[in-house]
Amino acid sequence: MTAYVSRRGLQAVVVLLIVTLIVFGLLSLAPGNPAAASLGLSSAHETFLSGYLTWLRRVVEGNLGFSARLNVSVTSLLTASLPRTLVLTGVSTVLALVIAIPVGLLQAVRRGTATDHVLRGLTILCYGMPAVVLGSVLVLFLAVDPPHIFGAEGPQAPGIAAVITDVRDMTLPVCTLTLVTVGIFARYMRSAALDALSQDYVDAARARGAGERRVVGAHVLRNSLVPVVTLLGLSLPQIVGGAVLVEGLFNIKGMGWQLWQAALRHDVPVTLGFTLVVAVAAVLGSLLADVAYAFLDPRVRHALP
Amino acid sequence: MPIRLREQALTAAPRCEKDGGFPMRAGRAARRPRKLIGGPIRGGRGRRLLAAACAAAGLTVLAAACGPASGATSGGTVHPTDTSTVTYALQPTTQATYIFPFVAASKPGADFSVYNVNDFQYLMYRPLYWFGTGVKPLINPDLSLAYPPTYSGNQVTIRLKPTYKWSNGESVTAQDVVFWMNMMAAEDALGNGYIGSSPGGLPGEVSNVRAVSQYVVTMTINGAFSQDWFKNNQLSQITPMPMAWDVTGPNQQPGQGHCATNVASCDAVYKYLDQQASSVSSYGTSKLWGVVDGPWKVQSLDSQGNLTMLFNDKYSGPVAPHHITKLIEVPFTTEGAEYNVLQDPTGSQVLDVGYLPTVDAPVPPAGASVGSNPSSLLNYSLSAVYPWEIAYFPYNFNNPTVGPIFKQLYFRQAFQDLVDQEGVINGPLHGYGKAGIGPVADYPVTGYLSPQLARGGDPWALNIPEAKSLLNLHGWHLPAGGGPLVCTNPGSGPRQCGQGVAAGTPLKFSFIYASGQDFMESAARELASNASLAGMQVELTPEPFDSVVGSAFDPKNHSWQLAEWGAWTYDPDYLPTGETLFATNSANNAGGYSDPTNDADINATLQARTPAAFNQAMYKWQNYLAGQLPVVYMPIRPVLNEVIKGLDIGVQNSALMITPEMWFYRQ
Repeated sequence: MTAYVSRRGLQAVVVLLIVTLIVFGLLSLAPGNPAAASLGLSSAHETFLSGYLTWLRRVVEGNLGFSARLNVSVTSLLTASLPRTLVLTGVSTVLALVIAIPVGLLQAVRRGTATDHVLRGLTILCYGMPAVVLGSVLVLFLAVDPPHIFGAEGPQAPGIAAVITDVRDMTLPVCTLTLVTVGIFARYMRSAALDALSQDYVDAARARGAGERRVVGAHVLRNSLVPVVTLLGLSLPQIVGGAVLVEGLFNIKGMGWQLWQAALRHDVPVTLGFTLVVAVAAVLGSLLADVAYAFLDPRVRHALP
Repeated sequence: MPIRLREQALTAAPRCEKDGGFPMRAGRAARRPRKLIGGPIRGGRGRRLLAAACAAAGLTVLAAACGPASGATSGGTVHPTDTSTVTYALQPTTQATYIFPFVAASKPGADFSVYNVNDFQYLMYRPLYWFGTGVKPLINPDLSLAYPPTYSGNQVTIRLKPTYKWSNGESVTAQDVVFWMNMMAAEDALGNGYIGSSPGGLPGEVSNVRAVSQYVVTMTINGAFSQDWFKNNQLSQITPMPMAWDVTGPNQQPGQGHCATNVASCDAVYKYLDQQASSVSSYGTSKLWGVVDGPWKVQSLDSQGNLTMLFNDKYSGPVAPHHITKLIEVPFTTEGAEYNVLQDPTGSQVLDVGYLPTVDAPVPPAGASVGSNPSSLLNYSLSAVYPWEIAYFPYNFNNPTVGPIFKQLYFRQAFQDLVDQEGVINGPLHGYGKAGIGPVADYPVTGYLSPQLARGGDPWALNIPEAKSLLNLHGWHLPAGGGPLVCTNPGSGPRQCGQGVAAGTPLKFSFIYASGQDFMESAARELASNASLAGMQVELTPEPFDSVVGSAFDPKNHSWQLAEWGAWTYDPDYLPTGETLFATNSANNAGGYSDPTNDADINATLQARTPAAFNQAMYKWQNYLAGQLPVVYMPIRPVLNEVIKGLDIGVQNSALMITPEMWFYRQ
């Protein structure tokens, strides 16, 4: 297992290098010189490769660059943006899972019943509802209209502690993102649970006299979680990268919002730095998903060298 | 000279090159989600599994619902409890970025926008002359650091008021003015200049700049220029700088940098000050930037743009008796987000001064300058202020592909025919706006507007058939395979496409515009739609405001074709003589419009020595240029201010200067 994780970690580093090289290359296609833009005018003479290597060296040293457009270091921008996004998307993902797993399981267990149809309709509605539309409706009825139960914007105080404790202001953005995410997870969960319910080991468990609760809880649930874990792993970049539209609607200058704005204004240092962080999250998510497979599925674990 | 460009309803200043300066103001950016009408989404109720799942979310909701609301409210009505603080909403995607009040061409255009200069720098570092008397863009003698200049031939004498002090106790002196002038001269020589070489422009057209006594500066104008123009468009740019800034290192004595006495020493001082201004997080603690002559100091500014300013107890200018002592400027991602916060009186930050997006504003009654407030904003007072500006977007005459097309007057007439200004005013602007038809703003009312243009009416009102007719008449026809019109009759004859337009050239254009302003997006889409009906293809690309401005005002960037950022506020070129926007080779002449007749007319305005001669020259110039359509005229639109009831901010002037030290809560 340790060797497996080490090997995957090494692969992750290679992937990260390739990702940064691609991003640096894509930015070089834009007007201007990405090396000069990210490293300063003194680097304007550098070739693409030397510019990339210089940027990479500084990243390793902890220097992500400086945004001349905003007059701030990328690190300080990241420090201010990341906590908000982590709390927003992290909490909403956890909540979405907490809701979606039992909903999907219930749908599978009661396949074809009214419960299944109603829940399917609701999950599809959540899945199909644009986040901005849903968020605007929530703001209108829960923040703008009396009795103003929640805040109309996300937390504005700096630091992750302030963001976490500002439940009133964080509720609507979290609910918005949770509702649009829960549909995806629930659909995956239902599909996986249906697949598990048709497996021989379920029939065997029932034949052994296991109660329905044990069959579902001990056999179906665990095996159904594998595809959900895959989805969760793939969601990690989004958790770090943020949800641009929700952040914009709720005045949250999070990772997604800042990255979007930086890309639009050709702010190369910020674009590079933030993309790197999202890429790290993507690679990490994939790695964690692989490890989780091994934990959840003995067949995968036993196949490892 | 510099001007400020504004996004949304403000202006912002683009950068200045050696050859010219310019102010413009930048507006907001970022789209706002529309408010929806409909019922709330209700969650489904399940049994055990679902109930368990919902419990977690429910706890969160309950905790939030039971949590304390930070706003002081009663039945949805705000009662400010802290009468010493004002929370002020910034335009979307804008924030203070640069504290050093000196315009250099190498800096991003956003540094010279209204939100960075008027809403930030000027609160700490006062310009020599403050413009804005009531709503009019005229010198305000009470808030100016100097008395109006006097002239003796070509010699200008500026007498500073001895009452103004820097916060370190030193007087604001003539040497502080010379310090600024020397720095501009130095940076101009390095191609990094502040204003530029429009006729009579600083610094090249003045000499013998001297501090003849502690409070008197003299200089000589190297030419025959209008005194009013020199005062309103040249001296208006000066911001005196303290001797504490005349240094090249942290441990030097004031004046040790010698820029105030020697132009050659200024570049090192500039580099040091620019370096000191490069980290916004240090502004609140910097001893350097803490030396102010204005009424405010930075307490904190973070990377997200949250700015808190405290009243400078040593301010020596006029203040209201019970003025506020803390100003909090709040950045926003979108105007929709700002509007949501404005409507939530219990939020963590209750806005005292905000703005109403025009798309959310009830249409004002016919003849009224301002309509009613939305029902959710009854605790705010709504007012509409038309900035001293024109709204337009330029053609890039230097674009190698479409520049030759733009140079044809018939094409510009056809294109202006496709702009439905009334439609924009009555549509996304909800009745707030006036059609733009020339290079001089008609609001607020001044004597600068020619009687011919003051009659109003849009001579280029939407007329798609006429646009098609003009194009067909000049050799543009549909190609066999479809697509936009192509030139089928090249040449420079009277019924041909025009000089430089090759056969087969399509009427296909790219159009970048500042994102985030609903009205601008709507107007751009409608223009593209109208253009398609006339046989043109206009490809729309939204970009952040400063990106659009950066492209449009980069004289080396010939790639853009059409670029719209919002408006140009005549600030600090308060006299709308046009040399900054329309004179050949002016750095603010985005797109490179050039017309010898126009240049001669502009020079005549600058050199008029009497009011009568000035008016005559102004009218001649603008009447001619209005018909030449050097840019695409768009509707000017007001700022819809929302001020919380109980707070008195006086009359906002059209130059968009703010004076929070005069704001107070009525008891």
